[in-house]
Parts: sequence; C-alpha cells; structure tokens
Amino acid sequence: MLSPMHQSLYSLEQEYDEMFEADRTVRPHYEKIYRHMMAGGTEKLVRKKRFAERRMLEEGITFTLYQTNEQHPLERTIPFDIIPRVIAASEWALLEKGIKQRIKALNRFVHDIYHEQHIIRDRIIPRRLIVANRYYRQEMMGIDVPGGAYITTAGIDLVRDRDGQFYVLEDNLRTPSGFSYLFKTRAIMRELYPELIRRSEVCDVEQSLNDFLSTLRSLNPNCRGEPTIALLTPGEYNSAYYEHAFLAQQMGIHLVEGRDLVYKDHKIYMRGINGLKQVDVIYRRLDDDYLDPLAFLPESVLGVAGIMNAYRAGNINIVNAPGTGVADDKAVYAYVPDMIRYYLGEEPIIPNVPTYILARKADRDYVLDHLPTMVVKETSLSGGYGMLIGPSARPEELREFAEKIRREPERYIAQPTIRLSRAPVLIGDQLKPRHIDLRAFALLGAHERINVIPGGLTRVALKEGSLVVNSSQGGGCKDTWVLR
Amino acid sequence: MLSRNAEALFWIGRYMERAENHARLIDVYYHFTHDGLGAEGDWRAARIIDALGARQDYEQRFPSLQEEAALTFVTLDRNYMNSLFSCIAQARNNLRTLREKLPSELWDALNSMYLWLMDLEPSDQLLDSPHPFYQQVKDRIAVFWGVQQSVMMRENEWHLIESGKYLERAENVVRILRSVTFASHPDETAYPYWLALLRSVSGYQAFRKTYADNFKAEPIMEFLVSNLAFPRSVHHAVSHLEQHMKRIEPGDDAHVALRDKVIRKAAKLRADIACLEREDFAADRIDELLSGISQSCMKIGSLIAESFFRREEATA
Repeated sequence: MLSPMHQSLYSLEQEYDEMFEADRTVRPHYEKIYRHMMAGGTEKLVRKKRFAERRMLEEGITFTLYQTNEQHPLERTIPFDIIPRVIAASEWALLEKGIKQRIKALNRFVHDIYHEQHIIRDRIIPRRLIVANRYYRQEMMGIDVPGGAYITTAGIDLVRDRDGQFYVLEDNLRTPSGFSYLFKTRAIMRELYPELIRRSEVCDVEQSLNDFLSTLRSLNPNCRGEPTIALLTPGEYNSAYYEHAFLAQQMGIHLVEGRDLVYKDHKIYMRGINGLKQVDVIYRRLDDDYLDPLAFLPESVLGVAGIMNAYRAGNINIVNAPGTGVADDKAVYAYVPDMIRYYLGEEPIIPNVPTYILARKADRDYVLDHLPTMVVKETSLSGGYGMLIGPSARPEELREFAEKIRREPERYIAQPTIRLSRAPVLIGDQLKPRHIDLRAFALLGAHERINVIPGGLTRVALKEGSLVVNSSQGGGCKDTWVLR
Repeated sequence: MLSRNAEALFWIGRYMERAENHARLIDVYYHFTHDGLGAEGDWRAARIIDALGARQDYEQRFPSLQEEAALTFVTLDRNYMNSLFSCIAQARNNLRTLREKLPSELWDALNSMYLWLMDLEPSDQLLDSPHPFYQQVKDRIAVFWGVQQSVMMRENEWHLIESGKYLERAENVVRILRSVTFASHPDETAYPYWLALLRSVSGYQAFRKTYADNFKAEPIMEFLVSNLAFPRSVHHAVSHLEQHMKRIEPGDDAHVALRDKVIRKAAKLRADIACLEREDFAADRIDELLSGISQSCMKIGSLIAESFFRREEATA
C-alpha cells in the first residue's frame, strides 16, 4: 500500500504503529482514511494543515504559556496534526467498558475513604498512603455528596505498548482539561474532510456536550426548578482559559470568577447588575487548595470564602468534589486493580502498567538495579514534571535520581518504560512516526450513570523518539476517530 | 448579568471608540502640512501627543519630541496603556472573558484585528506608509461596529457597549477641543489648522454643509459641541448615552434608583448643551465651558461604575 517514497522514509522499526501492520500493510480500520488522505500527496496535507492552524489562531483556541523572561505571556495554539488517530469499533467497545468499570470503582473508593474506610480496615490499601496523601481532605469526612458523585469529570490516560495491549497510565480525577481541544479539533476536521468523516462512519462527539450538561444538571442539590450552573475559572490568565470559556458557551452555563461570587446565609450567589442570584452547581476549574481561603489556602484570592460551608450545608454542589485527588495520586494508582476487585468483584478490563512502590524495600532495590529501563515519577506532580525517563536519561541524571530515591523513597513510584505506540504525523512535508497516547474523558452523573466521550484526545510527542506527550512539554494533538 | 461582565462590556465600547479616534486623529495630524510650518515635524508630534493626552507618558520615555518616536509610541507601544494597540488588546481581552455571551462573529472581527497588529513591525507598514495603515485600522474597526450593529441582541449587553462608546466619544471630542485652545503656535487660527481639526473628527464635510465658508473658532466649536445631527458631536454622544442608559433593564428598586441618578446627570448635561448660544463659545469663555463638560462626563462615568460595576459598595 505504501508508495515507494513512503517506504523508504517511514520506518516501522520494532514499534507498534497504529496505522501500519508490521509487514507495512495498512490496518483495515485505517484503510479508507489512508486512501483518501494520501490521494492528493503530502502537498495537499501541508496545505490543509496550514489552514487548520490558521483557524485555531483565528478562533483563539489557545493556551497560555508563561515564561519568566517574557513580559507578555505567550498565547499558543496547541500543535495539531491533521491525520486522525482511528480506533476500531470492537477495540473501543472494550476500552469504553474498561473505563466505566474503573470510574465506578474509583468513585466508590473516594466515597469509602470519606466514610467508613472499609478498604483500609480490610487491609487492601495501607492507611498511611491515604492520610499522608496531600490531596486527602479531612473536611470531606462524612459528607454525603449529591447523587453520590465525586468524580464527575475524569481524564483517563491510555497507552498502547509494543505488543498492542492498552494500559491505563494515569487517572486524572481533579477536574482534568482537554475537552475543548477534542470538540474543536473535530469541528476543524469536519471543515477539512467533510465527506471522509461521513463515509467513514465516525462516532459523533457533539452529543457528549449535551451529556456533560445533563450530568451537571443531575447533580443539583436544591429542588427549586431550573438549576443555576456556573463554571468557576481562575480567570483569563489561566492557561486553560479558552477551554473554560468554550465549555461555558457550549453548555450555556455561567462563566464566573471567585470575585463574582459571594457567600451569604450558607448559600453562594453571583453578583449581577440586577442583584444577587443563587448558584446551585459549581463546575470548578480550580484546585482544592484555592477553592476556599477559609478552609484551605488562606492566601488564595481565586476562590470564594465560605463555599465549603455552603457545600457542607448542602446548598451548593462542587464538581468535582473536593478531595477526589486522593484517588489520582500516583502511589494510589497502583491499587486501582485491587479496588476494582474489592468494590465490584470484577477483574480489571484494562490493566495497569506494572508499578513499583519505592517505599517498599524489595521494589526499591529492584528499580535501583534497573533504573535505565524505568520511568520514575514523583507521586504528587503531573503534567510531565518531576519525571525520569530511564532509557533517554544521561548517566548523571540517573545518578541524581537514584540519590533522590534513596533519600525520599516514599515520594516516588517507578514503572517499566512503555514503548508508546506510534502513528504517522505530518512533520514538514513528510510523514514521520511519533509516539502517542490517548486521554479518554468520562462523565459521571447521579447514581453511577457514566458517559464516556467516544475517542478522546490523542496526544503526540512531536520530538523524534520522545515519549513525553504533555502540551506543557511541547506535545501536540490529533483528532480521534472511533468507528461505528 | 455579572457586574464584572457589565464593566467589561462598557470598556469594550470605550476602547474601540478610543482606538478609532486615535486612528483618525493621528492620520490627520501626521499628514498635516502648511506653508508657514516648513519641516517642523516636532509640531506635528506635539499636536498628536497633546490631542491624545499622552504628553506625560511620552516624556517619561523619550527625551525630546520626535516624530517617528511619537507615532510608534501612540500607535504600537505595548507598554503604553493608551496606545492604539493597547486599546485593541484590552478590548479583545475583555471580549475574551465574554465570549460565551456574545456572537462569535464579533470575536472573529476583533481577534483577527488583534492578530494583525501583533504581527506588525513598526518599521514595515506603519512608518513606510502611515496613511494606508490608519485607513486599514479604521476599516477593521468599522467591521467590528458593523458586526455589532447587525448581529447583536438589543439587550443589556448591547446597551452597555453603546454607553461606553458614547461616553468615550464625548470625552474625546472635548479633549481634542481643549488641546486646541491650549495650543500656543501663533499661526494656529489659520484655515489649514481648522481644517485639520475638523478632519480629525471626520467633521469637515458635515461642517461645510452646515456653515459653508464660516471657518472661525466659534462656529467650529459650536458645531462640534452642540450639533445634534452630527454623530461625533458632544451633544449627539450625550443624548445617545442617555437613551441607552434608559433602556438597560432595571432589576430591583435599589438598582433603579442608582441607574436613575446616571440618567438624570446625563439628561442635565444634554439639556445644558442644547441651551448653549453662540456667545458661550467665545474665546474668553470656551475654556470654562469645555472643562465643565469634561467634569460632567467624568461624573457620569463614576456614577455608571457605582450603579453597575460596584453595586455592593454603592449600596452598603
């Protein structure tokens, strides 16, 4: 199938390629797309890519990059690759089932932790891991949250290893971001390839915005008719501000900042030109720490003083619930398969990446002996910060990290390096293989009703050979097509 | 509507109007020539700087008045809060916080203008050919107002943008007129100077139609202050401001009372202007008249802030 030009330039090596089999034939679910997109040659792709980039800039689909030496923060568009990542229907069906299973177990875990803590008493998870966790919120003990939903929005990072098997790499349960890219990249792809999307029978994502709103509406703690829902943003200087404005606009909910809200009589109100209006549901895009200066960080000016009181009084719902971070800690991650068995009595559908807890001596000794093949992560950091990737680290970096691990082993976990699968990406005017992952999004409403958005955001490590896909580290993204 | 949103809308109107006034005024004065004036570039620079009220900020940055420096300063300087660029950037920033509430075409118009200005190097387009540049600025701002006019709902959002626009317009015209009366050049009562003044507010043709060849200080001042039909006169601006304030939907009683204060103040200013006679524009009275109008405008601005943006403090 590959033209001679591609044959010579596109190397498969020993990696798993999403588009090509090991013998260079195109995988069946990619065939239509491959034929259509390659028909005009790469010049046409380059032209379309330029169009896509201009559209993103014009529409202001940007994130803000703060640099210490620049006076004005840079507004950047996320690098966007126009060759979609395609997932076959049968494969997605399994992933969707696995994600729902995982979210259900994680949500029950958070509920358990803030109530009877059966899972600790039954010695499935060590107590120390929970109470010493920086995302554990004592304030949440005994609170019954509306609809029993803690993890209303979740981003599950999935990777495919060299053997083709999918693994969960990370659970992002503290109001993850990336939704807007998913919807906007699809909108742009629909402008670029209208018939291809129609003919390929790609699952629609538009419906998911409606599901998102239904989910938020289902979590109204007050019963006085139409709920007033607001998205709480740190403001226009936040790097994800575009996403906040986008979601508020698409769902028709209010976009508010802390200074727009006021606490009165155990309720939260918005300050308007016509006076105060009570808010029922807050979808906050703000970390717990900044939510309420009275309950958490006293110096925070982004949140609302008193919101935790209103929450405890049951007059407002906060989405995601405070304290969900206790379940997305990288050390707790290692226990998710056990949670699934414990709460649901099922075997995990999508496996975890094997994880070594470095506080355990046996694990630590093994990891220190095999450091060049390992990925080491700091348990409390995200976004690709504080990470060691063994295979690409310099000897002095390895030595430095070994020292850090010996000094504070409980701060780290380690995993064998997963050779993330690769997909073709347009680099200049050539197709090049680049490593990718998938952030899938799940929405959990009242009574464990779960929606998984078909596909998700495929993130691309644009640097040759790199395994780091985070946008803060120069990653890009692709539209993800789930076939019907 | 959130108070913060109301404030952002009002300032979108102000910033866009201010940018438009800048473009018109800089364009006219930069191209001003007069026989007696010779190559006095610094006079032109001074007129631009003073008419925009930028002298203090300019002098903090530059040792002397210099034409090119002045032109780039008031047009593209990113750190001068009142440069044309900053006005557009601030209007865009405000609109960015309101994207979910306003038509997306409005954002497209303003964002594309902002991106265009961002990419501009002072040396390429601006200093090479200032006139086409300012023309393009005016065109793009006209697109913004055109989109606003044709697609925006006539609701509170609309009335707030319009109120900001008209208050800014009234203040701008008064400032330009005051900068003329303060100007010291001996020859400034000559025809070309009056012509430039009228052109800087796009009032030349309209004045011609109304006053024919009567090119003197009093009729020109009178025209720019009190001609109700001329859309850039103070009278026109204040009366529209009053109308828009009246149409903002009142909430509770406390809100009505506050808003009515704004309306009363605007109505009084409008009536005062309507009652002016030609003698009131005489050279010995004009300063007092203009500074009175300017103070009234400032008072209206702070009343609007009290009743819409900072209500808590006002009622507390």
